[in-house]
Amino acid sequence: MTDAAIVTEKLTRRFGGLLAVDSIDLQVAAGQFFGFLGPNGAGKSTTIKMLTGLLAPTSGRVQLLGLDFSSHAVEVKRQIGVVPEGMGLFERLTGSEYLNFVGRMYGLDRATTRQRCEELLEFMQLADRPKSVIADYSHGMQKKLALAAAVIHGPRILFLDEPFEGVDALAAGALKALLGRMTERGVTIFLTSHVLEIVERLCSHVAIIHKGRLVAQGSLEELRAGTAGEQGRQTTLEEIFLSIVGQDGSGRPQMEELSWLM
Amino acid sequence: MADVAVKLGVATQIRLVAQLRWRILRNNLRRKNSRLDLVGLIWAGIFSSALVIGLSFAFCWGTYTSVSNGHFGWLLLLFWSIFLFRQIVPIFIAGFGASFEFRTLLRFPLSLTAFYLVGLAYGFADFPAIASLCWLLAMAAGAGISSPNLLPAVFLILVLFVLMNTTLERLIGSWLERLLARRRTRELIFGFFILLSVSIQFIRPAITHYATGSSPATALRFLPYLSPFPPSLASRALAAAASGQDLSFLLSVAGLVAYIGVFGTLLWLRFAAQYRGEELGEAAAPARVAPRTAVGAEGARDTLRLLSPQVAAVVRKEFRYLSRNGFVLMSLLLPPLLVLLFTSQFGGKHPTVTHRGVSTELFFPGMMGYLILMLMTPAYNCFAYEGRGIQTYFTAPLRFRDVLLGKNLMHAGVLAFEIVPSIIMLALRIGLPSTPVFVATIAAVFFAVTGQFVIADWVSLSFPRKLEFGSMRGQRSSGVSMWIAFGVQILVTGICSLILFAGRWTNSPWLPAEAFIGLAAAAVAGYFAALDALSDVAEKKKEVLIETLCR
Repeated sequence: MTDAAIVTEKLTRRFGGLLAVDSIDLQVAAGQFFGFLGPNGAGKSTTIKMLTGLLAPTSGRVQLLGLDFSSHAVEVKRQIGVVPEGMGLFERLTGSEYLNFVGRMYGLDRATTRQRCEELLEFMQLADRPKSVIADYSHGMQKKLALAAAVIHGPRILFLDEPFEGVDALAAGALKALLGRMTERGVTIFLTSHVLEIVERLCSHVAIIHKGRLVAQGSLEELRAGTAGEQGRQTTLEEIFLSIVGQDGSGRPQMEELSWLM
Repeated sequence: MADVAVKLGVATQIRLVAQLRWRILRNNLRRKNSRLDLVGLIWAGIFSSALVIGLSFAFCWGTYTSVSNGHFGWLLLLFWSIFLFRQIVPIFIAGFGASFEFRTLLRFPLSLTAFYLVGLAYGFADFPAIASLCWLLAMAAGAGISSPNLLPAVFLILVLFVLMNTTLERLIGSWLERLLARRRTRELIFGFFILLSVSIQFIRPAITHYATGSSPATALRFLPYLSPFPPSLASRALAAAASGQDLSFLLSVAGLVAYIGVFGTLLWLRFAAQYRGEELGEAAAPARVAPRTAVGAEGARDTLRLLSPQVAAVVRKEFRYLSRNGFVLMSLLLPPLLVLLFTSQFGGKHPTVTHRGVSTELFFPGMMGYLILMLMTPAYNCFAYEGRGIQTYFTAPLRFRDVLLGKNLMHAGVLAFEIVPSIIMLALRIGLPSTPVFVATIAAVFFAVTGQFVIADWVSLSFPRKLEFGSMRGQRSSGVSMWIAFGVQILVTGICSLILFAGRWTNSPWLPAEAFIGLAAAAVAGYFAALDALSDVAEKKKEVLIETLCR
């Protein structure tokens, strides 16, 4: 793939004796809306942290936009936006102060930062609480602000860890439209979510990680083709996910064990 | 569903809660970064035990002497000191120590009675309770040795006194919990507490200055006014038992029982309110929609334009964090206040501690050293308030040196803001030292601050500890960083003192100034040279940093 935005080679991460991510080879083309799925504890957040510089890999390589992350960290970071796990907000700043801070950290000049900050706050419907510090925002508002901060510098790759969690339906609709427009303009979006319907609706390509190993990767059509569904009906992403992750029996909880609760 | 939860007895519930607290403590100590805290805990335990055992002998001897000789006034002193210790120390612990949120137990199926008893049982399980119990038992032993017949009466008094103390302490604690739940109230109480602590220090200079001829006998005149209070009642009951005054004994015991009844009822009402689901937190009120404002004047001029955008952004962010952190802001009042206090105690024409004022040649450098000692400590945990925001520093396209530089610049600004008015105050109250000592001291300040920034940045990156904004409870840096800060400050103070005295010994007044200017220049050069190395340290330590601060 010549226009690959994200490439990993044998990306591995160990925490002591635990192999959290095991030799992952990912390829995401520029402009793709890419969904990264997996059950709890599969290694999704660890992978996204390694892709965004929050965690050093034990071994393997990360290449973003053709640049090796470890040797060109600053140049790479300039071109990516991140909504990390926990959102990474400075909770004692106001929304506007935080966006101004992030804009300046990405090297935008003051006037541009200010203008983008106002537009983003307006778009995210956060402009009417100028004096509130982020700690007083609701979870959904914090999520919207983290998204605004991730896009303020116009990144070429956007990493989103559960971006719609806690966001109201109205704002989620606007955000999806925004993200869709960004991919049309060539921005690559790497998204993790537990809501498979959202991933199915937004993403053109999907990878599934299970117990630290990449167990599936491809376009939705490719994955559907590999999974047998009911006749006459298109296989859903949930069915694909369950058929892949539940193959060894460890993905699906055994209801028989909780008979006393039924 | 057939097998619903079985109703547990209060004793089982208390035991379960005790086990829970023990497991929380044990698991905290098992964490890698807490091993050294365990050493600190053991040391604290040894010192506390020594204090308790030593004072137990004193209480035993005091009671024995007063009962044997009929000097019952001493008993008043003993009971009052235990009472004050028992009531005041838990407030400190509630304010500053780590504490278990006992109200969280409300989600379990506890009856109000069980909740009340579990809450009361908590009052017997902390250090002040155990220490005061030891001292009361020592008093009982002293009274028993003096007169064995007194023991039944003594035990009755002590049981009532312990119950009264516990109910009152829990009552104060539960009210404090309610008050401290709100950040603004917490900050106000903390500010009031700090100012009160410092103001108390001014009492002696004020008495010395205004009330010449006052004696301890004056204070004794106030004792009768204390007689209706529980410690006086306990003391009077013991004295009455020793001197065979049955009516006085019964009245005093009845008084103690009445206090227990009143405090117990008020505590019941407080716990009942909590049991019903009293909201203590700060639920965000719906915000009023504010009118949009045009870009303000602040946007037109960049006051930090000499700095790179990233460093300027960090400085601005640090300033905003400081201006919103009530505790830290109020603690900035302390250094000038303490300078004022010390000038009246040790310096000037009328020192209250020393007969002759300390020379400004020594006093000025001493005060500057003290200020640096106080003000540099937070630099050893400079990421404490970042929380999850720390991730932004690692996802943004910058070298970590910019973050450290921004933080250190802001800290240096705070130091200047504190030191300049202190110098002016010193100059006004006791005068400035000679020019060589003045120059040497200022150069020494530069050396001490810049030199410490390098070590403090490394310590902040290597041994971070998250602190909660606007909270007093459990807020302390990691044990390792505190010990390193302590060691470095002793070392720097030692070096500076040696150089200052070298000027005196060699009779070369400008020698210290020259030496400090050289050291300050070397420290500044070393600081900038170390920033890149510290960036590498940040990269290596980022996982620990993120894990600790995002917890």
